[in-house]
Amino acid sequence: MKQVTIDPITRLEGHGKINIFLDDKGNVANTYLQIPELRGFERFSQGRRAEDMPQITSRICGVCPVAHHFAATKALDAAFNTEPPSAAKKLRELMYVGYYIYDHILHFYYLGGPDFVVGPDAPPGKRNVLGVIEKAGVEIGKEVIKHRAYGQRITAILGGKATHPVCGLPGGVSKGLNKEEVKEIQEKVTSCIDFAKFSLKLFDDIVLQNKDYVNLILSDPYTLKTYNMGMVDKNNKVNFYDGQIRITDQEGNEHDKFEGNQYYDKIVEHVEEWSYIKFPYLKDIGWKGMKDGKDSGIYRVGPLGRLNAAEGMATPLADKEYKRFYETLGGKSVNSTLAFHWARLIELLYATERADELIKDSEITSKKVRNPVGEPGEGIGVVEAARGTLYHHYKLDKDGLIDKANLIVATTNNAGAINMSIRDAAKGVIKNGNVDNTTLNMVEMAFRAYDPCFACATHTLPGGMPLEINIYDHQRNLYKTLKQHL
Amino acid sequence: MKTIVLGIGNLILGDDGVGIHVANELKNHINDPSITIDEAITGGMNLLDLILGYDKAIIIDAVKSNTGEHGTVKRIPIGNFNTMHSCNPHDVSLMEAIQMAKKMGETRIPKEIIIIGIMMKTIPCEFGEQLSTDIQKAVPEAIQLTLNEIKKKMKNTQ
Repeated sequence: MKQVTIDPITRLEGHGKINIFLDDKGNVANTYLQIPELRGFERFSQGRRAEDMPQITSRICGVCPVAHHFAATKALDAAFNTEPPSAAKKLRELMYVGYYIYDHILHFYYLGGPDFVVGPDAPPGKRNVLGVIEKAGVEIGKEVIKHRAYGQRITAILGGKATHPVCGLPGGVSKGLNKEEVKEIQEKVTSCIDFAKFSLKLFDDIVLQNKDYVNLILSDPYTLKTYNMGMVDKNNKVNFYDGQIRITDQEGNEHDKFEGNQYYDKIVEHVEEWSYIKFPYLKDIGWKGMKDGKDSGIYRVGPLGRLNAAEGMATPLADKEYKRFYETLGGKSVNSTLAFHWARLIELLYATERADELIKDSEITSKKVRNPVGEPGEGIGVVEAARGTLYHHYKLDKDGLIDKANLIVATTNNAGAINMSIRDAAKGVIKNGNVDNTTLNMVEMAFRAYDPCFACATHTLPGGMPLEINIYDHQRNLYKTLKQHL
Repeated sequence: MKTIVLGIGNLILGDDGVGIHVANELKNHINDPSITIDEAITGGMNLLDLILGYDKAIIIDAVKSNTGEHGTVKRIPIGNFNTMHSCNPHDVSLMEAIQMAKKMGETRIPKEIIIIGIMMKTIPCEFGEQLSTDIQKAVPEAIQLTLNEIKKKMKNTQ
């Protein structure tokens, strides 16, 4: 056999690609996930007014505008040496949990959920939200649409615009809430709490009561023993908007805890020549290649990473679910990739309960929503985007213009883990060169659990999310290609 | 009869923003209270929310071509997309959103949805606010096609 020294895959443009290489027996030798990444952000930002960053960065991605908006706003708080009044922090957090409500509902019912609710071996045409509704009923479909819209509405009331908020300013927010708005939000939040409880019940009935599904969740190909990263409050409970970054190991022990603005001492980005996206790892552990375990610095973020990185949820119902999660799945840490879906629903419940606490807070109608800013400098803002920890780092010049900008986005934090999860799932299901739609869906399930974000070309019709799976034989000839949305 | 003309795209992603450039230009050509011109940076369910309640929706957007076409402009009724995807992996496509809304008994879906597609062979991946020369050249034609589409509607209703 000819010695192949250069991987025959080039960096990709435009769409996600999974390349699977088989050995001479037709089993999986290796896999490579390639995700397009938007380029040139630093150059694009240079010389812009810093206060425009919350608006500009919220356009990076049609998926998490609210997360970028507040990571940027918090970076500006720091860069302008100011601190928002307590009411402004609460308003920001209320808006932020509103974003979680719609985003987590969307992922569970539309994207990740179909694998379980309709079944992993259902034909591709049925594995979508319409299949979910067919199975669960039209009434539930209406509830899904309604509550997703409620989440959107809450962020729109607070943010000024549903999709691209305009409220975040260094030192606070541009407007507070009036009594009518409070009333409207309260009604919606109350309804959302019930819907979150219902969603967990649905997960219980359909997934947890099905032994095959539980076994699938706990099976080896879907297990990855990495470190976990997430933001926690002072009691080590999950927080999406503010707190310290906590790292736990594969058994749930605290490995590190730091302020978000120390991230560059803690995280290093590894570069692979076949990938635009970089692979961050924990600096103190080091890069050991695409490996899990204690010696490898790869970590996971997002719902599962966050739950593992914390010691509980800060609201009562969600905390109860949190305990049940670990009791059911065998204690800390839960290293089962497919458990992301359950973790996401627990976070949905937390988001609704937290929204309820915040909207009932007497300070929420306060008029004091902004503090003055100081001299421009350097600032780092960190939030938990729905998909994981998001870092914005700006250096301003003396006129308040952007000199340097660096972002580490959620999917980048998960890049190493996603790549390995795909490899392990592929090894588990592709045997002797047998590849069909079901096996490929099983591979994709590993990928979908993370809810990865291909920010690239988010608005191009027919779409920016095509995925191509190429399978190569042991001589690296293309053996099979499966294209989705291409 | 109420019509919405919607430019879709991302103004900081170069050619991806072409739909919005076209919509902004159209504001200089149209002065009719029954026609709404707006822009959005979204797709799927959010996009559906924006067009509910109108009789006709004209959506101007970049369309990825499978044939290498670049800078041509096409009028595409929404039913003609054999594959159409969400604007992002976290949403459903506009077609799925419509199907779902119909299933839920939504009555405000526009009777006619037309895409004015500016064809592109590659998806922009680099930040920038300028349109490339090829795509800039397509703007007048996209404007013209949209105006024709609006006139067509007038004829039908008068």
